[in-house]
Amino acid sequence: MSALLEVEDLVVSVGTKKVLDGLSLTIAAGSVHAIMGPNGSGKSTLGYALAGRPGYEVVSGSVRYRSENLLELPPEERARAGLFLGFQYPVEIPGVNNVYLLKAAVNAARKAQGQPEVDAFEFLKLVREKMQLMQMDEAFLSRGVNEGFSGGEKKRNEILQMLVLEPTLAVLDETDSGLDIDAMKIVARGINSLRSAQRAVLLITHYQRLLDHVVPDYVHVLARGRIVKSGDRTLALELERRGYDWILEAA
Amino acid sequence: MSNGSTDLIARLQSEHAAAAGGLPQTVPVEVRRQALEQLAAAGLPNNRDENWRYANLRALKSVRFAAPNTTAAVAPGDLPAPLDGFQRFVFVDGLLAVGLSAPLDGAVRSSASASGADRDAAAGREARFALLSDVFAVDGLVIGLDAASARRQIEVLCVATADGSEGSSYPRLAVQLAAGARLQLVERHVSVGSAAAMVNSVADIQLAPGAVCDHVRVQQLGARCTALDTLDARVAADAQYRLHSIANGAAAARSTLQIRLEGQRARLELTVGTVAAGNQTLDTYAMVDHAATGATTRELFRGIAADRSRIGFNGKMIVRDNARGADSQQMLKGLLAGSDAEINVRPQLEIYTDEVRAAHGATTGKLDENMLFYLLSRGIEPEIAQSLLKWAFIEDALVGIQPEALRRSLELQLARQFQDIAALDGLLGSHA
Repeated sequence: MSALLEVEDLVVSVGTKKVLDGLSLTIAAGSVHAIMGPNGSGKSTLGYALAGRPGYEVVSGSVRYRSENLLELPPEERARAGLFLGFQYPVEIPGVNNVYLLKAAVNAARKAQGQPEVDAFEFLKLVREKMQLMQMDEAFLSRGVNEGFSGGEKKRNEILQMLVLEPTLAVLDETDSGLDIDAMKIVARGINSLRSAQRAVLLITHYQRLLDHVVPDYVHVLARGRIVKSGDRTLALELERRGYDWILEAA
Repeated sequence: MSNGSTDLIARLQSEHAAAAGGLPQTVPVEVRRQALEQLAAAGLPNNRDENWRYANLRALKSVRFAAPNTTAAVAPGDLPAPLDGFQRFVFVDGLLAVGLSAPLDGAVRSSASASGADRDAAAGREARFALLSDVFAVDGLVIGLDAASARRQIEVLCVATADGSEGSSYPRLAVQLAAGARLQLVERHVSVGSAAAMVNSVADIQLAPGAVCDHVRVQQLGARCTALDTLDARVAADAQYRLHSIANGAAAARSTLQIRLEGQRARLELTVGTVAAGNQTLDTYAMVDHAATGATTRELFRGIAADRSRIGFNGKMIVRDNARGADSQQMLKGLLAGSDAEINVRPQLEIYTDEVRAAHGATTGKLDENMLFYLLSRGIEPEIAQSLLKWAFIEDALVGIQPEALRRSLELQLARQFQDIAALDGLLGSHA
C-alpha cells in the first residue's frame, strides 16, 4: 500500500495559540483511520488545517498528499484534488440551493481534471440514487444549503455531498455527533459504501460508537496537539471503557 | 439656502415661465404655481438636509427642468419582454406612447393629474421632488378601480431616451383602489439608448378599506441616468399594500417612500433591494407612519455595494399614540462587496404609545467567512463562491415577487451583474 497522506511534525497555530504541536500521521490508500481524543485536543484543527481553512496557520512541519505538498494549495484546489472535509457544524447558506452546490462542486473537480461538465440528467440520477442511500427526501435538493435542516439532516447532507463528490481522502469531523442510532447507521452505511482500495477515510470522533458501524483499521489518540497512542480498533473499545486519563498520564 | 440652490430655483422659475404656456391643464395652473412657490421657499433638497445626506443630486446643476421637446422613437423590440396577462402602458420621457400601450378604458386614464398627495406639512419636505413634478409634468397614468371591478394586472413601463440637458421626464402614476379592489401593478423604469436622462417620477397610491395592491417597482435606468422618485401611499382599514422595490440602475438614484397606515389593521409589506457597483449611489428613504390600531409593517432591506459605490437606506418607523397594537418589524442588511464601497443602513423608531411591538435589526458587513470557506472546501472557485453568496444575500429581497416571470428575469439580471452567467448556470430555475 502506498501512502496517500503523510503528515510530519505538524505544528498549527490558531491566533496566538499553538493547537497542533508536532503531529505525525501516515494514511495509506484503502484504509480507515480514526482519531479520538478529549475535547480541546486539536481534533477539529487537524481537519481544518488539512482542508486549508484561513486562520489555521501551519507554523512548521509538512503534509504530503499523493506525494505532493498539500499545504501550498488553496482550499478549493485541495478539494478538487480529492480531499473532502465533512464539517462538524455544516454551514447554512440560505439562497444557494443544495443541488446547485453539488453540481458546481462536481463540475469544478471535473474541470480541474480536464473533463467536460457533467450531463444534467445523469447527474440528477446519481444524486437521487445517493439520496436514497442516505434516506433523504428529494425536497432537500431544492432547499437552501443546510437551511433549516436538523442536526441529523445536516450530517446526512455532508455524507451525501461526499458520496456525490467521491473523494480520495475523506476527513469526517465528528460526523457522528448529534445523531440518533438510526441516523448513525445511515451515515455509517454511506461512509462504508465509499470504502475502496483507492480511497481512505479519516474519522475524527469523540466516541467510539460510530466505530461499531464503520470499523477502522487504525485508531489514534490525539492529546495536547500530537498523537500519543496508536493501535487497532480494540484501542477504541478500551478508551470507551477506561476514558482518556490513563493515556494522558502515561504520555 | 446656499447660492447654488438659489441659482437652481431661479433657473427653475424661468424655465417654468418659458414652458408654462405648453403645459397641460390637467394639473391646474394654480397647483403648478403653488408648487413652484413652495419649492422657492423650501429650496431643492441637498446633502445638508438630514434625510438627504446620502443622495447624489449633482446632476440637477446641469439638467433642463422642463420636459424635453422631442423624444426618440421607441420600437416594441427596444422594450423588455411583456408580462403574460398584464396590460402594458408605456411612457416615453414622461409621455404616454399610445402606439406601444394597451387601450385606455374607464379604469385607466392618461392624465398628469396624478397627484392627490399631501405635499405640505412636515412630510412635504421629503416630497420636494414631487413638487418639482407638479410644476413640469405633462402626462401620467391614473388607475381607478371601483369596488365591483375584477382584479387587474397592469404594467407601467417608463422609458427614458432624452438627455437631461434637453429636458427631464416626469412620469406620474396614481392608483385609487375602492373598497375590496385588487391590483397587481408592475412599474418599471428603463432606458432606451445611453443618454444621461433625468427621471423624476411620482407615484400616489390610495387604498380604500380591504383593498389589496401588489406593487413591484424596478429601477434599471442606464448607467449615466439620475433617478428621483417620490412615492406616497395611504392604506385604509384592512387594506394591504405589498411593495417590492428593486434598483440596480442609474448613476445616482434616490427613492423617497412615504407610507401611511391610516386604518385599523392596515398592513404593509415593504421589501427593498438595491445592488450598486462602480460609482453608483443608490439611496432610499422609507417613512412608514402607523396611525391606527393594529397596523402592521414588515420591512426588509438588502443592499450590496461593490467597487466604489454607495448605498443608503434610511428606514423611519413612526407609531402614533392612536396606533395601539401596532406591530412593526424591520430587517435591514447591507453587504459590503468592495473595499471602497459604502453602505449606510439606518433604522429610526419614533414610538408614541406603549402597546406596540417594534422589532428592528440592522447590520452591515462583509461576506460571511464560514460560508465562504464551506464553498471553497467543496472545490468552488473563490470568485464564484463570492458571487453565490451575494446572490443568496439579495435573493431575500426577490423572493415573493410576482409574477414569477418578472422575478426570474430580475434574478437573471442580478446574477449576471455578480458573475458571468455561464458559471451560475443551474442556480436559477427548477432542478427537479
